[in-house]
This record gives sequence, structure tokens and C-alpha cells, in this order.
Amino acid sequence: LMSQLGVSDMREDVAEVKSINNVCICLFSDKDIIYICPFSGAVKGKVLITNYRLYFKSSDSDVAVMLDVPLGTISRVEKMGGASSRGENSYGLDITCKDMRNLRFALKQEGHSRRDIFDLLFKHAFPLSHGLPLFAYLTQEKYEENGWNVYKPMEEFRRQGLPNNKWRITFINKNYELCDTYPTVLAVPFKSKEEDLRRVAAFRSRARIPVLSWIHRENQAVIVRCSQPLVGMSGKRNKDDERYLDMIREANDTTKLTIYDARPNVNAVANKATGGGYEGDEYQNAELIFLDIQNIHVMRESLKKLKDIVYPNVEESHWLSSLESTHWLEHVKLVLSGAIQVADKVSSGNSVVVHCSDGWDRTAQLTSLAMLMLDSHYRTLRGFQVLIEKEWISFGHKFASRIGHGDKNHADQDRSPIFVQFIDCVWQMTKQFPTAFEFNERLLLTILDHLYSCRFGTFLYNCESARDQHDVRSKTVSLWSLVNSKMDIYLNPFYTPESGRVLYPVASMRHLELWVTYYIRWNPRIRQQQQSPVEQRYKELLALRDEYLKKLEELQLSDSSPSSRLANSPTPNTPSSTSSTPSQQYTHLQTPL
Amino acid sequence: MEFSEHIKTANVEDVVLRQPLHPPSRGTLCITGHHLLFSDREEGSSRQLLLLLRNIDAVEKRISGSSGTITIKCKDMRVLHLDIPGMEQCLNIAHSIETLSCLDGVAAMYPFFYRPSDLSLQNQWGLSSTEKYYSQMKELHNRWRLSSVNRDYSVCPSYPPAVIIPQNTDDDMLKKVAKFRQGGRFPALCYYHRKNGMVILRSSQPLTGANRKRCREDEHLLQAVIDGSDKGYIIDTRSSQQAQQARMTGGGFESKSSYSHWKRLHRQMERGKALQESLIKLVEACGDESHNMDRWLSKLENSKWLSHVQTALSTAGLLAECVERDGHSVLVHGSEGTDSTLLISTLAQLIMDPCCRTLEGFLALLEREWVQAGHPFQQRCAHFAYSHARLQQESPVFLLMLDCVWQLWRQFPLALGFSEALLLRLATEAYASDYGTFLCNSHQERCALGVTENTHCLFQALLRPTERDYYSNPLYEPTELAIWPSVHPQSLQLWRGFFLRWTQQARQLEEAQEEIRNMVIEWGKMALS
Repeated sequence: LMSQLGVSDMREDVAEVKSINNVCICLFSDKDIIYICPFSGAVKGKVLITNYRLYFKSSDSDVAVMLDVPLGTISRVEKMGGASSRGENSYGLDITCKDMRNLRFALKQEGHSRRDIFDLLFKHAFPLSHGLPLFAYLTQEKYEENGWNVYKPMEEFRRQGLPNNKWRITFINKNYELCDTYPTVLAVPFKSKEEDLRRVAAFRSRARIPVLSWIHRENQAVIVRCSQPLVGMSGKRNKDDERYLDMIREANDTTKLTIYDARPNVNAVANKATGGGYEGDEYQNAELIFLDIQNIHVMRESLKKLKDIVYPNVEESHWLSSLESTHWLEHVKLVLSGAIQVADKVSSGNSVVVHCSDGWDRTAQLTSLAMLMLDSHYRTLRGFQVLIEKEWISFGHKFASRIGHGDKNHADQDRSPIFVQFIDCVWQMTKQFPTAFEFNERLLLTILDHLYSCRFGTFLYNCESARDQHDVRSKTVSLWSLVNSKMDIYLNPFYTPESGRVLYPVASMRHLELWVTYYIRWNPRIRQQQQSPVEQRYKELLALRDEYLKKLEELQLSDSSPSSRLANSPTPNTPSSTSSTPSQQYTHLQTPL
Repeated sequence: MEFSEHIKTANVEDVVLRQPLHPPSRGTLCITGHHLLFSDREEGSSRQLLLLLRNIDAVEKRISGSSGTITIKCKDMRVLHLDIPGMEQCLNIAHSIETLSCLDGVAAMYPFFYRPSDLSLQNQWGLSSTEKYYSQMKELHNRWRLSSVNRDYSVCPSYPPAVIIPQNTDDDMLKKVAKFRQGGRFPALCYYHRKNGMVILRSSQPLTGANRKRCREDEHLLQAVIDGSDKGYIIDTRSSQQAQQARMTGGGFESKSSYSHWKRLHRQMERGKALQESLIKLVEACGDESHNMDRWLSKLENSKWLSHVQTALSTAGLLAECVERDGHSVLVHGSEGTDSTLLISTLAQLIMDPCCRTLEGFLALLEREWVQAGHPFQQRCAHFAYSHARLQQESPVFLLMLDCVWQLWRQFPLALGFSEALLLRLATEAYASDYGTFLCNSHQERCALGVTENTHCLFQALLRPTERDYYSNPLYEPTELAIWPSVHPQSLQLWRGFFLRWTQQARQLEEAQEEIRNMVIEWGKMALS
């Protein structure tokens, strides 16, 4: 069947299709269907549906249209038109996707083919609603690398220089008894006792106590994350919580601890009504700053508005003001500028605590972006994977609720593009610092594609305890297995490691761009860059770079005095000029050999 | 004329200079006939600022007590502040700058005094000319000829001495055609498309007037262009309504009845004052220091600059489509034929012709299509967007063209042989320059002032080995294919490298690009060695 349909000329991943194929059940094929393409009009073709994807190929060779949509991407399937429908192509299916597109198919009324396709799609796009397993549990893909080994919490703590005499590692949560949405291994102030942690947990929403995310090697300032304190209407206090925050401040001996509350001030106040709140004046030696970032519902509506102006038709006449009215870039700006404040505070030697309400959405955005700015390790291909594993996955960003993997309930109020927004912020940073990241845009696109695809276990479930319960690590494949098995396509040839450098992106509207290559990528009329020649050229450049480094190494071996001096010199942030000297050029090329 | 009569105070000590991207510094300010010179007094870290007075677009002074502050807004978008002790000195300096920055006499301008040690006036001036282009295009020779009818500029004052016209059109006919076209700009060839032998011609509007005058020679010339083919296109850069209205003032368009084999297409392009006002709005939005940037995108939209970019690129795309895809020759004109006409013929050539996409090719294209074809640089670039002077003939057409080229460069990062730095440099040089290239309004004026004998040529200077590297695109990979730009608003971006160039951010990006350049060059050298 596959060959009959010409699946072999699928653009990419032929090998993957085959390996998925082992368990890929062909559910439906060879039926004539009309794809109502918003760009080329009605296109006749054949459809193939497996338990992983929907594949469509036009049968008319004049209009080459191909669709390859993982069923996980689908958020909603609807029938359009009824038995009485008149008019051409008014009877069929409407499919809403999570990745900024919708699909529309027209079918013949005779022969129940619509019912068959609808039932299949409905069942396999939303397996959890039908008591079926997610596709990640069915696939038997094999990779050279095991992506589950990318992140080991203890190793990451050791890399940061922990434990030390101010911070200790605790296993108090090894059975998720302290906090069921936290990871098992936590770093807390050295002075704090286990019973302190338990008392603090009682005063923090969902027991998400303040724990260390990152420590500055030189000045020992830390980023600590948590949820809101349970102050409530009556303005409750908790001496243990107050003392605990003061221990965090004491750990690097500064006069003041800065608490960043990601929310707008009014929202924080409103949270008191439901038992939450924020740190008041009773927290001595602490200052509280609100970062004005809106909640998940506002972000969801904003992205929905953005989709309305880019799909299927892009707004032409008042593009910029329409874009402005979605507020998407403004939200991106606020998240970035919040992270910049956090990074700046830490890099000047002050410890910070970051929280929002529950500490799993805005908090994750802020801590991970600040860490990306502060620590160049996270800007490498593997380091970035660690950052996502650590700050997002292990600390319980509710991927399952935010994305709705395999769930038919498309209107769930828990859905929100918080992680997409984070990746957008990362993209903005890569645009502003084109040599500072080891990975390229393709990695970001791949991550977002598999955020929905359900092919890998990486983004499944809400927290570590749920992942343990469902044996994610043993029964599914990690996305990083795919990425790390063919790393070269995700590498930025111009990457120049600068280990000490703190990146401060400009979070001004004037310097932010809409990520057109993601949000508007389905529109063939919007050309961004000729993606393939650029990628081809990137590969050539990577080869050139490797050859260069090899030659450099040979030089170092044969003549240790001058070239080793060059190679061992630290990599300062050299603003090069037109007349950059050879030694400056060498320093740009420091790559771990 | 003596510059000294405008300089009452030549030197001031203890001046504080505040400029973007640098900490304030204290030092000595000096005004000369052509420059503002500031050198700081700090030992060891001596810094100098040498600013061409011509680069200054607006001067604002604020006196408070016994000292004053002069704000200088430059044509390259830099804004400087000078705190000057002494009210009188401050007023003198401001007055000198105001006067010297907009002196009229071309012959007294700096290019006539600029004598760098590494350039000689004996060097070749310019890269290309009509004659050269004609001799390179052997394929042209059996149907087209080189005419020197304009050798003394009497037929068309804004054309160069040599022009390429159909073989069977004699000079007497040309003289008659010239009388029928505004400013004498008769249809002349500017591009030959090797792939299919089609051509682009440009001209000004025909002077048909209210009573629909005809000119047999004009009709004959155009007929000769499409001899052997079924039709040609005329792209009129005005709306058809504007073209109709032009008849009331003696202008007009090629009517269907008189030019039956030519199909007219109207595309309204903004010109003149409207374009200048658009630039003023954009520059104002970019310079807005207030932190509340909520309305930035609306302001950007309201300036309409990006929609002018879009119109220019899509009209150029239309022109290229007629030639490359449709296989027909095209005549382009608006009214005067010295602005939007040049804009779209330049862009269309970049889209279609790989030869124009190299560094030399692009500079030669600019030389033919703008400098020699009579774009009135002196009038159009007299002021930038800050000036308080009444607008006259200013219009940023050349800057708009550079912006469009930058959009192409962004959409096709491998296809163009030059760097963004080149576009930035050209944008600056067009408004204020050490070189003579962009002086005057026409070939004739340059000739009368001896520009080629007495000034240096910018294009030659840009091709010197040291500069060439800097202005080349290290990722360049020539392609024979046409590069069709996407003109959707989503595909077009504000040219931040220019409009936000004095921000930390733009500087960082510039440095990163420079780093990338050096890397690629270095790898290439090492890998080959």
C-alpha cells in the first residue's frame, strides 16, 4: 500500500517512516479525497491515515501538494455540511491543528467514506479519550543515542559546582511525598533542615517550595524558583517561610533578596481571594518586583488572534497594526525583559526568587531564559536540551494540560502556548546573537513539531511523578535520541563559544520580529529564505570549519609555541573591526577540540 | 568664496560631546570649512570625531545661563550633543555649522579638496558607461546602435552623451522624439536580457497634452523596438488616473490607438514629497526615545515606508515578469523618468541578471542607472529627515532603492555578492561624501564642473582590495536563476541596520556579522592552504 501511494518519495525521513512502519498500522488508504488547499484551491488526491499520521498527496501532477500531519498535531475534527449540502465541496471534514493551520477536506456524500475517516481520525488523534495508548508507546524506533541520558540532575548540579558549603542536595522528595509536581532531587540552602522544608511546603501553593535552579560560579548568587505563598485574604504569615527566604539571601551574603513575581500586581492581589498571594513587608531584607506578565488565558487568546491574521490568508492591508493588536510580540517582550531583569540582578551578585502563581508556566519561562542569558553551557546543543529537561520537564510544566496530548477536549481552559512562547523568546535571542548559539533554527522548529506529535515521550505528562508512573523513560523514545543521532543538521556553523559572556537581548518592540518561519510557514507565498540552499551552504561551512580546526590542531602539534598561545587564550568578547588582526580572528574560532 | 567668513569661532576648549554608543567625553571642538572636529583630552585613550559638515541635517541650540547645548542631527541618523561653555561661542559654532552644512556651490564642496594619499586623480573614474555596456553586449549590435546625438547634451540635458537606440532610428528622428518627451528623455535601452533577447527601455512621459498630440517618430522608434515580436509592455509608474491628469499639464501617456502593439500597465508609485514625508515619519518613530513603545508597529505602519518598499519591489517584479517569464520588451516611465523609473529598472535587473549581483556588477549598475541616467542626487539628497528647512526637491528614492535591495539580500542571503555594509555605506555617501560620485544632478553638470578630473570616484574606492573584502558577501554563491522576492508585508522587514543603526543592538549584530565574515574567510584560506 505504501509504495502504491508513492510514500517512498516522501520528502524526508524515509528511513524513519519505515522504522515507524513496524508498528504503523495503515488504517485507511487509497480513497479519493479533495483537499481544499487555501493556496492552490481544491486539489484531488489520495489520503493515507496511519495511527501516527495523516498523509495526503495530490494525484494531479500539475499541482504538487503534499500533507504529512502527525495525528498528535490535531486538536479538533469536525464534519462540515450535511446530507442536504449543496454547492461544490461543501461536504467533508474540518480539521483544526495545534501548529497554526487548519485542514479542510471535501468528500463524496455516497459510501460513508466521511464517517469512516472521521471515526478513524477521531479515535487515533485522541487516543487517550478512547482508552488507547499514545503513539510514543507503540513506536519501536531505534537510535544510536539514548536521549534519556542527556539530563542527569546530579551531574548538572555538579557542573554548577554543587553541593557546596552554602547549598546542599536533598532527596526529601524521592517518592514525590513533599511535592508531587517537583523532581526528586532538589538543591536547598545548606542551613535548612528537612522539617523546615516540610513547613515551608505547607505555605507554598502545591508545596512548590523555593529551590535552587542555578548558581553563579563567581559571585554565588542564585536563581531560586517556587510558587506563590498561601497568604490568603486574612494575610497569613509563616515564620518558617520568611526564615527560609532569609537563608537564601544569607547564602551569598547580600543585604537584600529580590523576589520577582511574574504576574501583574493586580493579579497577585486577586490571587489572595483563592488563598494565594505574594510576599509582603513581613519578609525583611527582601524586595518584591512584579513583572507584569499575563496569565495562560491571555497568551492563548493572543496566539489565537495571531493565527487569525496569518492563516489561511495573511492580513495584507494593515499587517503591522493587526499584528500589534494581537499583542503577541508585546507578551514576548515582557517575558524577555523580565528574564533580563533576573539575569542582570544575578550577574551583579544578588540572589533572586522567581514565582508566579503555581510556578510552572511564567516561572519556567523566566528562569530558563535568564539561565540561557547567564550560562553559555545552555547555549550549546546538549546544554539546551538539559535546560528544557530541567526547568520545564522536571519542574512540572504541565505539558499534558497545556498541549492536550491525545485529548479530544480541544476547548479545555488549561491549554496555553507557554512553551511555544518560550521557544519564540529563544528564537529572538538567536536572531540578536547569531554567533552565540550552537544550535540553529531547525532545532527550534523540530522541538515545536514534536511538542505535539506524540512520537517521543519527552513532552508527555505534566510532571516527573506521572512520567514515572507511566514508565515514559523505559517505554518511549526521547526526542533527544533523534536530535543527537544526527546532530549536524541542527548546528549553527557560526557558533563561537564565549564562556563568560552574559547575553542581554534587547527587549524593545523595535528589535523584536515576528517569527515568520514558524508562524507563517504553511503559506507557500511567504518566502523567508530559500531554506534548502542555506542549509546546504551551512553544511559546507561546517565541513570547512572542521577542516580548519583540524589544520589548527596540526599546527598546534607541530609548533607548540605560537599557535598554542592562540588556542589557549581565553575568548574575550572582542568587538572586531574591519581591520581585525589575525589573532582576533583566531580567537573567534575557539571551539573545543 | 572664503569659508573663514562663516567661522567666527574656530576652536572651543572644554566641550562635552555626547554621542550614541559612547560615554560622554570632554575635549576640544574645532570647525573648519568642511568638517567638525572633536578630539578628547584624555591621555592615552584619545578619541577623535571627524564629521563632514555636509552630513549635518539639522542644528538645534539651547542656551542656559552662560553655556549652551547644540544638538546635531546627521544625515546618517546619528544625533550628537555638544555642551559648549560660553553663550557667544555656542551661538557662533551653531551659526557656522548651519551655514557651512548647506552651502550651495558644488565646486566648493569637500570632494574637490579630498586628497587621500592612497588615491590618485589619475586613476580611472567610474566603472561602466553606455559605451562599455554596448561593447560588452555583442548580441545587441545587429538591431541596436550607439548614438552620440547627445554629445553636447543639447538633445537631452539629463542623459549621458551616448545612448543605445534601435538600429534604424537616425539621429534626426531622435531629436524629434526628444521634443515629444519631457526633458528630452526619449526611450533608450538600459538592459538587454541575454536569455531571450528582450530589452528594458526607459524614458519620460510623452508630451501628448490635452489635444492628444502624436509623434510619428516616437511611434516609429517604439515599433522598431518590438520589430518581429507581437507586442511590448509599457509600465507607467503612475495610476491611469494620474496619467490622464498629466495631459492637462502637457504630459500624457501612449494611447492605444497610436501605439497599438504596446500594452500599458499602470502601477502607482509614491514619489517626491510623499516619499520624503514617509521617511520623516519613519525616522521620527525610530528616534522616539520614550519607553512606551506600545504603538511602535502602528507608527511603523503609519509612516507607510514599508508599503513603498512593497510597491517598488512588486512593480519591479512585474517588470521582470514581463521580460523574463512573458518574453516581451518593456518601456518604463513615470513622468520625468528620473526617479521611480530608475528605481524599478534597477531592481528588475537585480532580480533577473546574475551579472548585476556581484559587487562590481551592482556598482556598475548603480553608475549606469542612477549616476549617468540623471537621477538628480543634489536635489533629492539635499536634506535628510531632520531638516527644518522648507522641503524643496528632496526625496529619498535612492535610499528606498537601497532598502529594496536589502530586502532582496535578506530573502536571498546567498545570491548577492555584496554585504549589508555596502548598502549602508552607499546610503551615507549619497547624502554626504568625500567622493565626487554623487555630486550634481546630471552628467552634464558633472562635466561642466570637472568632477571626474577633480574628485575621486567612490565606486573605484570601494573596489580597492582592502575595502573589497569588507563589502563582499562571504556566503555568496552565484546563481543563474532569477530571484523573485516575496512582497507580502510579512516578508518585508524594517531595515534595522540602517534605521536603528546607532543602537547598541544594531552594533552587536554588525559585530556578529563581521565575525561570521572573518570566520568564513579564514576557514576558506586554511582549508585551501
